[in-house]
This record gives sequence, structure tokens and C-alpha cells, in this order.
Amino acid sequence: MTKNFLEIDNVTFTASAQNKVSNVSLTIENQGDIICLLGPSGIGKTTILRTIAGLEKINSGKIILKNKLLSSKDVHVEPEDRNISMAFQDNSLFPHYNVLENIKFGAERNKKKKKGLNINEIIKFLHIDHVVDKFPHQISSGEAQRASLARSLLSNPDLLLLDEPLSNVDQSFKEEIQVKLKQILTEQKITTIIVTHDSYEAFYLGTKCGIILDEQLKQFDDPYNVYHFPNSIEVVNFLNRGILIPAKVTGENSLESADLGTITGDFIKHYPKGSDVQLLLQPEDLEHDDQSNLKLEVVDRKFRGTNFIYTLKTVSNKLIPVFVHSHHIHQHQVDEKFGIKRPINIDHIVCF
Amino acid sequence: MGFGKINIWYAASLLISLVVAAPILTVFSSFFETTGNYSLILKNTFLYDYIYNSLVLLIGVLFLTFIIGVGCAYLVSFYNFPGVNFFKWSLILSFAVPAYIYAYSLTAFFENYGTAFSILKNLFGEGNYNTHIPKFDGMMGAIISISFSLFGYVYVLTRTSFHYQSQNLIELGKNLGFSKKKSFFKIILPSARPAIVAGLSLVAMETLSDFGSVSFFGISTFTTGIYNAWISFDDLTLANRLSFYLLIFILGLFILENFSRKKAQYHTSSKGGFKSKSVINLSGYKSFLAFSFCMLVFSISFLFPVLQMLYWTIIFPKHLADLDLINLFSNTIILVILSSCLLIALAFISNYGNRVSKSKFLEALTTFSISGYAIPGIILAVAFITFISWFDSSILGQFEMKSIKPIFIGSILGLVLVYFIRFYSLASNGIKSGYLKINYSIDEGAYLLGYSKFKTFKNIHVPYLKNSILLIGILLAIEIIKELPITLIMRPFNFETFATKAYIYASQDLLEAAAAPSLFLIIIASFFILITSKYILKD
Repeated sequence: MTKNFLEIDNVTFTASAQNKVSNVSLTIENQGDIICLLGPSGIGKTTILRTIAGLEKINSGKIILKNKLLSSKDVHVEPEDRNISMAFQDNSLFPHYNVLENIKFGAERNKKKKKGLNINEIIKFLHIDHVVDKFPHQISSGEAQRASLARSLLSNPDLLLLDEPLSNVDQSFKEEIQVKLKQILTEQKITTIIVTHDSYEAFYLGTKCGIILDEQLKQFDDPYNVYHFPNSIEVVNFLNRGILIPAKVTGENSLESADLGTITGDFIKHYPKGSDVQLLLQPEDLEHDDQSNLKLEVVDRKFRGTNFIYTLKTVSNKLIPVFVHSHHIHQHQVDEKFGIKRPINIDHIVCF
Repeated sequence: MGFGKINIWYAASLLISLVVAAPILTVFSSFFETTGNYSLILKNTFLYDYIYNSLVLLIGVLFLTFIIGVGCAYLVSFYNFPGVNFFKWSLILSFAVPAYIYAYSLTAFFENYGTAFSILKNLFGEGNYNTHIPKFDGMMGAIISISFSLFGYVYVLTRTSFHYQSQNLIELGKNLGFSKKKSFFKIILPSARPAIVAGLSLVAMETLSDFGSVSFFGISTFTTGIYNAWISFDDLTLANRLSFYLLIFILGLFILENFSRKKAQYHTSSKGGFKSKSVINLSGYKSFLAFSFCMLVFSISFLFPVLQMLYWTIIFPKHLADLDLINLFSNTIILVILSSCLLIALAFISNYGNRVSKSKFLEALTTFSISGYAIPGIILAVAFITFISWFDSSILGQFEMKSIKPIFIGSILGLVLVYFIRFYSLASNGIKSGYLKINYSIDEGAYLLGYSKFKTFKNIHVPYLKNSILLIGILLAIEIIKELPITLIMRPFNFETFATKAYIYASQDLLEAAAAPSLFLIIIASFFILITSKYILKD
């Protein structure tokens, strides 16, 4: 007996010799939790979903949902008997039924359950009300993807699996759909595993995030920790939200960098004084100050709407990202000098 | 093979493939048996003739059916010109004309003092026209007769494939700067390849097992060799061995095609959405050329033999009055309905079993079993009778059980079973071609909505493939109506169809009397095509 809602215990997910994720163990403790799996393309994220759905078999470990063993070396519950729904990345709508009929397939699955979502509301919120009478070949891939999502949502499954559910959706209403989707999943307590390569989407939707790299689940934690406390250099490189610079530990709360001088803050892990480390610098760790005597050269500037990300070159030719609010009174051009506020104090110091 | 793969679908598919493969195994076993003296005589005399003639016939027919079938399918699928909607369905009518009836018509029209001579004489008076009228006999006559009778396979399957091609593909070619010619050879043709190959495979098998027209034109092929080995020299083992060589050849073609296809997928990719094709309006001489090509093919393949048979029926009305039409009609229809339903149902189950189990063994066995289409009907019928007789005496006789011979030999059941083995390839290939259009994610989507394998089959696949099923039903119906040797051997006593009646008259040199049953045969087959043409044309 397990008190966890879903338990994946030491499972190796295999699609081919080149595409596998080994010895994965993770749990979803509560019904209604949303798990996001992040990783580069072709790493095996979809294979994980397909295996949980029962479309692939396993040779080791076990998968247990609501105390029922679904997969192990000797047991394989067929996909249709798992009450797990999956929205595929590619269009999996039935080509000979129109969009509404396709969506109704989902609603019919669990029509006996009183609790359920309103089909019209789902259609409206996913912006597919104008295509309900059309056939799959007559609609765009984004519309097909949303119709597939609607069908899966309405099937009211024990576990919902979404494979890149919004990858083809227009940016204009992607955020709106994300907000509403999260609201529905939370209100209806639909436990969900989402595969995505969009870390912003994962951080927003996920109760927890899993990072899959090098055939392994590298980190499984809540989104804040994944971002701020990455547990390996591979995760840092994958998230691509900071840079590692060499530094030497000089005290309980301080270290010294050839590029930036003295840096203070709380270490999340103890390092003996005198240790040579790689310090993680994220864009929000450094502050801009025109009056500072620590000046670095601007090599690039990215405008992100709410902010700018400046890329600065240090004396040792390291490129450091720095976050600046877009309402900052003035802007710096490429090749100009950019001041960094001193003393540098970082809320939490992550080193490797 | 994993334990999980042994399910009811796998078992059903395996059983069906084994039943169809049984006669092929019988033919294979002949390789280890002793043959009579005729084998030696044959090796020193006609064997190379058989090989050479069969190859020339095959290459000629494949070339002609490819050009006519793909050409017509391309024109009616991608262009708009006068009569295009008429040609879409009328070109299928050629299915209604068996190669042997076409051969009679061809000869009757072009022979000395034949119909062509009469027409010229009536128009221009007496003259030495015989020297100027071309003679289509021998190999040329056989190639033309078989090609115009069979090109419909390539046409129908290719047109269906063209129909499902997305405009995206064509636009993609334009974006890459492809000319129309390059688009055709690099995009349109390759993506229709499974359909074209399926069509050509059927044509190849039909050609290699054709007996009626090659014997009429006096060409020695493997089939006539097999027939002679059995009928003239009473050497069934040698007949089987010749069939074995024929099978090896067909299997070689299958393997070659599978290898050359490698891992290419021919699903309609759903990613990026499907866009219906926009047809190009032709005008001027291009429109005239397209119309002329289709009109010429329609006239030669259908109008010509029909008018020839009609002409004979009208000028010899006595033969028509002698026909028991109701009896012939009901016999023909009963056979069509029973056999088509059985074939489609079991071919569907077998294909679905293959799809669900994804077993390479099962797929190989299915490929092997459908090569039985190349076994001439005559051999199948004899193999079936031999097997039932052996089972009756060796197995049932041991236990003093009642004989099953009357149930299977000289009965409708036996006839339908041999039809089943003979035409299984046609049903199976057609459904397989339809299944290639359904992505596996469609099945997986259904399972994840709680649909069982059976419910997915019943509610998703069957409705989606209903047009394909109707098409296959038509093809089967026409094949069964036209089928001759199996019906002749397996039919109950005094049980006649239009085909057997026409053959019996023709074999007695009463070609004029054969015209009326031939004409009715063509009318019934044409009727089948017409009532279902709306499904074929449904966009």
C-alpha cells in the first residue's frame, strides 16, 4: 500500500536503444498535483508519458496509480483500462468525425460520473468554438491540438498526460489558455503530467518540475527550487538562465571572483574556506548602478517587454547576464560601459 | 514475440493467414516430390519459352497499365477539363470486362472479314481492306487485352491515394522551386507509391495467372504450362512445381518492393494540418489533350468490347432467347455476396490483428500467404480437392467418421472457400492500403479514451475505412463474376454462372453464343460499379 497518488519506482522508460530514460523514481503525492517534465528534444519525455499511459511496456520497476499496479515486468494493464487520458503533440483526432464529435468522445467516456466539465465552456475557453463543425483536415494544427486537449480534459481521467499541449498554439492566447487550464486542473483536481520544452510554461503550471537530461531524471523539485537551486551543472546549462564563473571561497558567507571582486551571501551548501568553485550567476543576482566603479562592457541587449537582459563581458572574457527593469531611466548601447552595484550581495549562493 | 502479443486478434490473424497459406505450402511441398517424364521433356523444350513469354507479357502489361492507370488518375485528380467527372467513374467500368472477353472482341474486330472489315465495307463499299487492318494477335493481343482489362486496379488505387494527398505537399514543392514535372516525379508520384505498387502487384499476379486470353492467343506461359502438365500429362506434381517457380517470382517482387521502401512512412502527416487540393483548370489544347487521353482509354477499354458483344447479341438473337437469365443471375449474385462478405470480414480482422500485435512474424506470414493470388485458380481448386480427399480418407476414414467430401466438393461452400483463398490478397491488400492512411496515434487516442481493441475496430476503423471497404467489395464482386476455372471445377452439378456459360459456348467455338452471357456479365459488373461510384468519387 502506498499513500501516494502516483508512484513510479525505478522504471527504465525505453523507446529504442538511443531513446531511453533509466531508473526513474518519482511520486505524485496528492490528487490534483501538476507535474511538468522538461528536457531537450528526443530525450525520451514522450516515451515516459506513453509508458505511463500503457502504450509501451516496461521491463523493470513498477508504476502504481491510486494503489493499483499498472505496469511492472509481469503486469501490464491495457491503456483502455487505466482511466488515463493523453493529449498527443501531433493531431490524434479521428479524421472521419468533426471536431465536436471528436470532443464528445471524451465527454462520453465518463458520462456516468456526475462531476464533470461543461463541454461548451471548454470549447469556448480553448477558442475552438468556430471550428466545431469542421473536420480535422480542415483546421490548423493549433486548433487540432486544442481540440485534442478538450477531448482529454472532458474525459475526466484519473491521470491526464499532456504532450507539449500548447506547442502549436498562437502566442496571442497561449497565456490565457495556460491560466484557464491551470484553474480547471486545480478546481477539478485532475492530476496531470505535462511534457514541455518551455521552462516558463513548466514553472507556471507545475506543482513540481522534473528535468530530464542524459537519460536520467536529473532533478525533481518544485519550480522555484529547480530555478534557484539547480542541483547540477547540466541542469544549469539546460535552463540557460545564468552563467558559471570561477571563484574562491573566502569565508562562511563570502567568496572572491577575479571578474567581480568580493561577493557575499548565504551558501546553500557548505564549502571549506579556500575551495575553488564555480559560482552560478543568474540575471537577477547583479544590480545596475551607474555610479559604481565596477564597469563592464555591454556586448548584447535583449528587450523582453518587462525587462532588458544585458550581456556583459568581464576582464576574463566571461559573458554575464544582468536583468534591468525596462522602465529604467536610460538604456545602454552595445560597446558602452555598464556599472554593477557594489558590494555584490546574492540572496543565495549556488556553487558547484 | 512477447506473451502480451498472443491475444484474440493475433490468434485470428494467424489462423486466417495459415488457411490462405495452406495451398501455397502444398505447392512448395511439390519441390520434394518426384515428377513424371514430362518434367524432363519440358526442361529440354518449352521451359525457357514459358519463362521468356511470361516475362515479356508481365513487363508489357505492367508498363501499359502503369502508363494508363497513373496517367488517368493524375489527370482526373489534379486537373479540371470537360468530362472530368464522367471519366472519374467511367474509367472504372473497364473492370467489368474480363481479359478473355476482351481478347474475343479484339480478334473479332480486327480479324480478316471481321467487324472492322464490315464497317469499312458498309462505309466505302467492297475493297481489299484486310491487308490494311492491323492484326492484334499473339503476344501483342494478349498484352493489350490484359492491360485494358486490368489497368483499373492501378487507376482506382492511385486515384484514391492522389485524392488524399495534401495541398501542403504540392505547395511545399512550389516553395522549393520545383517545376510541375519535378513536383510530379519527386512529390506526387513517390507519395502515391504504396497505392501504385499495390495496384501493379495485383496486375502482376492476375497477369501471371491468366489463362483465358493467353490460351486464346496461343502463347505458352507458365499458366498454360501448368494447365498442360495437369490436363495433358496428368502430372499434378509438375504442375505444382511450375506454380512454385511462379510463386518464388512473386515473392521476390514483394521482397524487392519492401526493401526499396525501407523505413519510409506514407501516412498523411497531420502535423501542420491537412489542406484539400485545389485542381488546375485546363484550357485550350491542354484541355483537349487531357480529354482525348481519357476518352481514348474509356473507349478502348469499355465501349469497344461492349459494342462488339452487343453487336453479336443483336445479330444472333436466338442465343439470347436460349439463356435461363434468372437462374444465371441469382447464382452469380449469391456467390458474389457470400464470398465478398467473408473475404472483407476476415481480411479486416487479419489486418487489424497485424496492426495491434505489431508482430514481424505475423506480417511475414501474411505477406507470404497473399502471394497465393499468383497461383492459378485451376491449381488452387485441384489442391483444395486433393486436400479434402486426403483429409477424408486419411483422418476421418481412420475413425470411421462420415465423409465430408459432399460438403466441400461440388458445393457452394467449397466454391466460396476456394474463392476466399484465391482473392484474399485482393481484399487484404486493399484494406492494408486503407490502414496506411490511419496513424497509430489515432488508435492510441481511442485506447486512452477507454476504447477496447474491438470498440476501436468497430467505431473508429470500420467507419473510417467504409469507402475503402466498398471499393474492395466492388473489386471482389467483379473478380468473382469474371472468375472462370475455379467456378468450373468447384461448382455444384448444373450450377451455371454467366462466366461458365460464356466459356462453355466459346470452348465449343460458338463465340456468337458467348456474346449474350458475356454482355450480361459486363452489365452486372458495370451495375456494381455505378451504384457505388458516388462513394468512390466522394471528396
